Amino acid sequence: MRFLDHVPAFLFFTGKGGVGKTSLSCATAIRLARQGKKVLLVSTDPASNVGQVFSQTIGNSITVIANVAGLSALEIDPQLAAQQYRERIVGPVRGLLPDSAVKSIEEQLSGACTTEIAAFDEFTALLTDGALIAAYDHIIFDTAPTGHTIRLLQLPGAWSSFIEANPGGASCLGPLSGLDKQRQQYADAVKALSDPDHTRLILVSRAQKTTLDEVARTHQELAAIGLSRQYLVINGVLPEREALHDALAAAIYRHEQEAIVAMPAVLRDLPIDYLPLKAANLVGVEALSSLFSDRDEAIPVAASTVADVMDLPRLSTLVDEIAKTGHGLVMMMGKGGVGKTTLAAAVAVALAKRGLPVHLTTSDPAAHLTDTLLGTLDNLDVSRIDPHTEIARYREHVLDTKGKDLDAQGRAMLEEDLRSPCTEEIAVFQAFSRIIREAGKKFIVMDTAPTGHTLLLLDATGAFHREATRHIDPLLHHTTPMMRLQDPERTKVMIVTLAETTPVLEAAGLQEELRRAGIEPWAWLINNSLSATSTSSRLLKQRAAFELAQIEAVRTRHAERVALVPMQIDEPVGIERLLNLVEP
Amino acid sequence: MTKIEVYDGAMCCSTGVCGVDVDQALVNFAADVEWAKQQGVKIERFNLGQQPLQFANNPRVKSFLERSGEGSLPLILVDSEVALAGRYPSRAELTRWARLVAVPTVSQAEGSCCSGDSCC
Repeated sequence: MRFLDHVPAFLFFTGKGGVGKTSLSCATAIRLARQGKKVLLVSTDPASNVGQVFSQTIGNSITVIANVAGLSALEIDPQLAAQQYRERIVGPVRGLLPDSAVKSIEEQLSGACTTEIAAFDEFTALLTDGALIAAYDHIIFDTAPTGHTIRLLQLPGAWSSFIEANPGGASCLGPLSGLDKQRQQYADAVKALSDPDHTRLILVSRAQKTTLDEVARTHQELAAIGLSRQYLVINGVLPEREALHDALAAAIYRHEQEAIVAMPAVLRDLPIDYLPLKAANLVGVEALSSLFSDRDEAIPVAASTVADVMDLPRLSTLVDEIAKTGHGLVMMMGKGGVGKTTLAAAVAVALAKRGLPVHLTTSDPAAHLTDTLLGTLDNLDVSRIDPHTEIARYREHVLDTKGKDLDAQGRAMLEEDLRSPCTEEIAVFQAFSRIIREAGKKFIVMDTAPTGHTLLLLDATGAFHREATRHIDPLLHHTTPMMRLQDPERTKVMIVTLAETTPVLEAAGLQEELRRAGIEPWAWLINNSLSATSTSSRLLKQRAAFELAQIEAVRTRHAERVALVPMQIDEPVGIERLLNLVEP
Repeated sequence: MTKIEVYDGAMCCSTGVCGVDVDQALVNFAADVEWAKQQGVKIERFNLGQQPLQFANNPRVKSFLERSGEGSLPLILVDSEVALAGRYPSRAELTRWARLVAVPTVSQAEGSCCSGDSCC
C-alpha cells in the first residue's frame, strides 16, 4: 500500500459516502497502532459509524479503544457542533434580551453555513492543539463527504483573503464573524494542512466514471488551495475471476476496468492503490485488519432471503402513480453518485412517452443530461440551472437596480458583498423558483444537486416563504415556492439511495432535514440493487445478501413507498436503455 | 468627537445582499456608512445575529428591545443618546450628527439649508 509508506502526522481520507472511507481509516488506524504508534482517529462524518466498527460508544470526547492498544477515537457530530456554536453566541444573552429577539438570532444562525463553520471550528482546534499533537504520532481524519470537505477546507483560504480585502471587517462574513478571535488558529490550521511533511490527503474512490470524475474535481480544488500531497485509493474493485461465468459480473468488471483506464489524467499521476471488493462490509477489528490483504472470508449466502425483495415494486409502479396527476413537480434527492440524474431522466422519459408534457432540469453542476439522454423526445424539454450563469445574472441585476444610484465607493462595496458564498445559493434559488412555477401546467422533473447544496436551496426557500408571508396581505391568494414543495398534491420528492449502510444513513438524514422543512418525501428509490438481479457470481450474491438488511430498514423504518431499481448490465444511457429502467 | 452606533436586526450581512430580495435601504446605508468613515466619522454597526451581547450590555438598547421588539430595529445612538429608530438615517442626517461640513450630493441638491458657508 503506497499510501501507508512513511505516514506523516495527519492523514485525511476523503470521498463521497459509501466508498469505504470509514473502513479504510479504521484499518489504517489499527495497522499503525499495531506498529506501536499512538493513534487518534477522528470522524467528522455526520453518519459516523466508527463506534459500530469497534463495538464501543465513542461520541464527542476522545475515547480509548479497548481492544486496540494505542488507539483512541473521537466523533465530531456537525449538527451538535452547530448547536454548541449557536449556544456560544445565544447563551450569554438568553434571559437578558426578550425571547423574540433571541429567537431571531437563533433563526439567523440555523442556516447550513453555520453547521459547516461549526464543524470546521472543531476540526481546526484538533489541528492546532499542541498537546494533542505531542500526545499522538498520527491523527487520522475520516472526513465528511467530498463537497462538504471542500467547503470546510476552502473556508480558511477564502476567509483570510476576505479579511485582507475588507480591512473594514464589517462585511458579509455571515456566521464566520463569530469566530473573529480565532484568526491565528485558522492560519495555523491552513499551514499544517498544506505542509506535505505534516499532512497526507487520501482520495478514496470506486472504479466508476462519475466517482472518479468527482474525485478529480476534489483533487484539483484541494491542490488549488495548497493541499498538493495526495494519494488515491480505488476501493472495492471486482476481481477478474468473478467475471468469468456471470454476465452481470462481467459487465461490472468491464465497466470498472474501462473507468480505471479512462480515469482523468490529473489522477493518473498520483500514487494509486487498488483494493479488491470484499464479500461483506467490514465490521470488527479482525475483519478490518484483513482489508489490506487479498484473502476473502467465505460467507454462506442465505439464498431464500434474496427472493423476498422480489415483491418490492419497481420504478414503473411509481411512474404510473405520478402520471395520474397530469402535472406537478418531481424531485430526485440524494447524495452525489447514487444515480439521481439517471433516474430523473428515466422518469421524465417514461412520462413523456405517455404523451405527457415534461420539463427535465438539473441544478447539479456536475450533471450532463444530454449525455444521459443521447437524443430527443416529443413532449420533453431539457434545461439546466448553471450556477455560474445564474450568479452572473443575479449580480448584474442587483448592481443595475439596487446599485444604480450609488457612488463608486458604495458600488465597489456592494460588488464585494455580492462575491459572498450566500449569493450563489440565492441566485440558484431564483432560477429554481422560476422553473417550479411551470409545474401547474406540466411535469417538472428535477435532478437536484447533492444534499448540502439542496438543503441550502431549501433554506433559501424557507426564508423566502417567511419573507413573503410577512409582506403579503394574508387575504391575498398567493403560493410561495415553499408552500408548493410542502404540498404533496403538487410535489413528489423521491429519495435515491443505494442498499448500503452509509448511503441509507445519509438518505435518512436527508429525509429528516426535509421533514424539518415541512416536506414529506413521497417515495424512496433503491438504485443499483444486486439483489434485484439474477447474478450467479458468488461474490455478487454475497453482496446482494448484505443488501437485504438495508432494504428491510428502508422498507420498515424510513419509507412510505419503496421501489427497487436493479443493477443494469448495460450502462443506462440513451432513451431506450432509460426506458428499460421503467419496465414493469 | 461624535460617536454613532447603529444597532441592526439579525441579518447575515450589512448590505443585505444575502436576503431573497436585496433591500435598497440597506444597500444605500452601507454605502453611506462607508462614506462617513472616509470622512473620519466614528461610526460602528452591531448585528443582533452576530453580536447580541452588545445589545444586552447597553441599557438603552436593551430597554428599547424590550419595549418595541426587534422588529423596530435599527436603533441609532449618537453619543449614547437615541437619535433614530425604525429606519436608517440618510447621508444628510449622518452629516448633521457628525457636524461635518456637508458635501453636495444628489439628494441634497434641492435643499437650500446647507448651501451657505456653514451647515445647519
